[in-house]
Amino acid sequence: MSVEARPIRKLLIANRGEIAVRIQRSCRDLGIETVAIYSDVDRHALHVRYANEAYPLGGNTPAESYLRADRILQIAKRCKVDAIHPGFGFLAENGEFAQAVAAAGMCFVGPSAHAMAVMGDKLASRQAMLAAKVPVVPGGTEAVADVQAAKKAAAAIGYPVMLKASAGGGGKGIRVVPCAEDMEAAFLTASGEAQNAFGDGRMYLEKYLLEPRHIEIQVLGDLHGNVLHFGERECSLQRRHQKLIEEAPSPIIDEETRQRMGEAAVAAAKAVDYHSAGTVEFLWSQGEFYFLEMNTRIQVEHGITEEVYGVDLIAQMIRIAAGESIADCVGCMPRGHAIEVRLNAEDPENQFMPSLGTIRNLRWPGGPGVRIDSGVYRSMEVTPYYDSMLAKLIAYGSTREQARRRMLRVLQELHVGGVKTSAGIALQVLQTEAFRSGQYDTGFLEKFMEQRQQLPIARDIPDDLEEVAAVVAALHRQKTAARRVLAQPSSAQANPWLLAARREQHGGVCS
Amino acid sequence: MKYFLQVEGGRNFEIEVEDGVGGHCVVHVGGRQLEADFLDVDRLGQYTAILNGRSFAASIEEDDAQHLRVNIAGETFTVVAMDEREKAAGDVAAQSGPKAEVIKASMPGVLISVTAKEGDLLSPGEAVAVLEAMKMQNEVACQHGGVVAEVLVEAGQSVDANQVLLRLQPPPAED
Repeated sequence: MSVEARPIRKLLIANRGEIAVRIQRSCRDLGIETVAIYSDVDRHALHVRYANEAYPLGGNTPAESYLRADRILQIAKRCKVDAIHPGFGFLAENGEFAQAVAAAGMCFVGPSAHAMAVMGDKLASRQAMLAAKVPVVPGGTEAVADVQAAKKAAAAIGYPVMLKASAGGGGKGIRVVPCAEDMEAAFLTASGEAQNAFGDGRMYLEKYLLEPRHIEIQVLGDLHGNVLHFGERECSLQRRHQKLIEEAPSPIIDEETRQRMGEAAVAAAKAVDYHSAGTVEFLWSQGEFYFLEMNTRIQVEHGITEEVYGVDLIAQMIRIAAGESIADCVGCMPRGHAIEVRLNAEDPENQFMPSLGTIRNLRWPGGPGVRIDSGVYRSMEVTPYYDSMLAKLIAYGSTREQARRRMLRVLQELHVGGVKTSAGIALQVLQTEAFRSGQYDTGFLEKFMEQRQQLPIARDIPDDLEEVAAVVAALHRQKTAARRVLAQPSSAQANPWLLAARREQHGGVCS
Repeated sequence: MKYFLQVEGGRNFEIEVEDGVGGHCVVHVGGRQLEADFLDVDRLGQYTAILNGRSFAASIEEDDAQHLRVNIAGETFTVVAMDEREKAAGDVAAQSGPKAEVIKASMPGVLISVTAKEGDLLSPGEAVAVLEAMKMQNEVACQHGGVVAEVLVEAGQSVDANQVLLRLQPPPAED
């Protein structure tokens, strides 16, 4: 196959936050100029400050800003970029956008609209995988029209079943239905959620697997017909289908299974003539694996694969879009172990609800084996408009235990104030027997959240931190009480300048 | 001064802090005595504490004087810290029986549905509405339960963080 090489010198990133910064970093490494776009609330964002050029989209909600394909294309044409990288979310899996980019004479850094269309529709992708002899989860391949049809289909597969949105992704519009009595409520809320999120409320059913693990294979394909896999990522530590901790390689996948899963993933990608980076997700249950879906974009957790394989997947995506071959990646071998913790602005004590506020007290970890991919800065507003992910913390080690110990260090050094985050829960999970032994499934995190007060944790941290926290709180109260007494106006005409000066003199005193 | 501390989901502590000089003071906790050196690092919420020679980096956020979030070595503790006067006032209030509950939105978003109606009897933890924010739908539930006295919002409405959604009256006394 002959492919015309198209050098990329300037690239627009149709995204925001952490992933936009991540793409900019690879562009810097490749000597490519970057163009950022931003909504009104993102004027201060890091991706704007790190870019070579930045242009406003206006608006705040995704629909008003990062989903405005027309405006984004206008900006891209005006500043004459060679390519557009969509990141993940927003327009990343929008085939029409990919086609419009190509029609305007620019490279879309991602797969073809055809691959997106087939893999983006869960029913079409199931049918394509069946044809390509990739194992799939038992279930119907047709959308169910209503609650009655769903009940009928579920009875045929056998409860428990999974109810999923045909147009779904990112955990929206998915419910486990344990029995027929729960079908109606589950169907209506899931379908409503899907209608809201994707504008498509169609649902389908699948068998719910016992103690399943979510294991996914990273693939890269180029425009010359090469497709390679880069091993697996273990993503079973998730709650409501939102991942919290990922690791590569999976503690339970042996070399032989890795080969078989890799080959299945390559077959899945080839079935849709895939090019660019993609992820083939499998459910693994009792030694068998089943195709779940293919994400036709770069994924949040790509960094752990990069650490283990020593490859820059974002740079590879850009090279592929420019028409280069990935033949030089053949023989890339995994080395060591990487663990990622997603630092989300959310409240684990309150059902992981998003936690909004202004970032304070920011202190990043560092040292050997640590990588932080972040879009966060001190005084950043966490708004309700976008995803709650603040940063990705990645620890690499030559063994799994070294990577685990390093991640414990990372989470202990980290401070993020102003919002509640997922860091504390991740720290606890990493110290559980289930994590140490690698024996966990996709139900573990949910169970852990319910039972963790009673669970004995084999802690790696020696101090009684609860008592220390109480002592620190008491010391803090004593200190602020002293300050408040000093700040009391001594007379009716108290002079604020005098008070400020007095406070400054006495500020260091802990009485 | 003596302080009474409740760690959310954890233990209660009675801690006496003696007056000291500079950051130094003596702390009594659980029958033990600690030499403490406690300093504000940046006036932005970061503190350094050395307790009997063991060093801790803490960050503290204050909701108000009594309600603190203390972060140490990656773990966050929500602490209610009262002095003797506040403790006494709290004890009196606790004796006045069950309180009416107010259900607020925990964050800004759009109400997808409001299921509770005036007059409904809610058991503790029962869902009253579904709130969508950050692309996720979340159930809003009551804490203690009771009889719905007032529903102040309707489905489709945008709400701000801490906006009152419903007011409950204590459940009728059981005989």
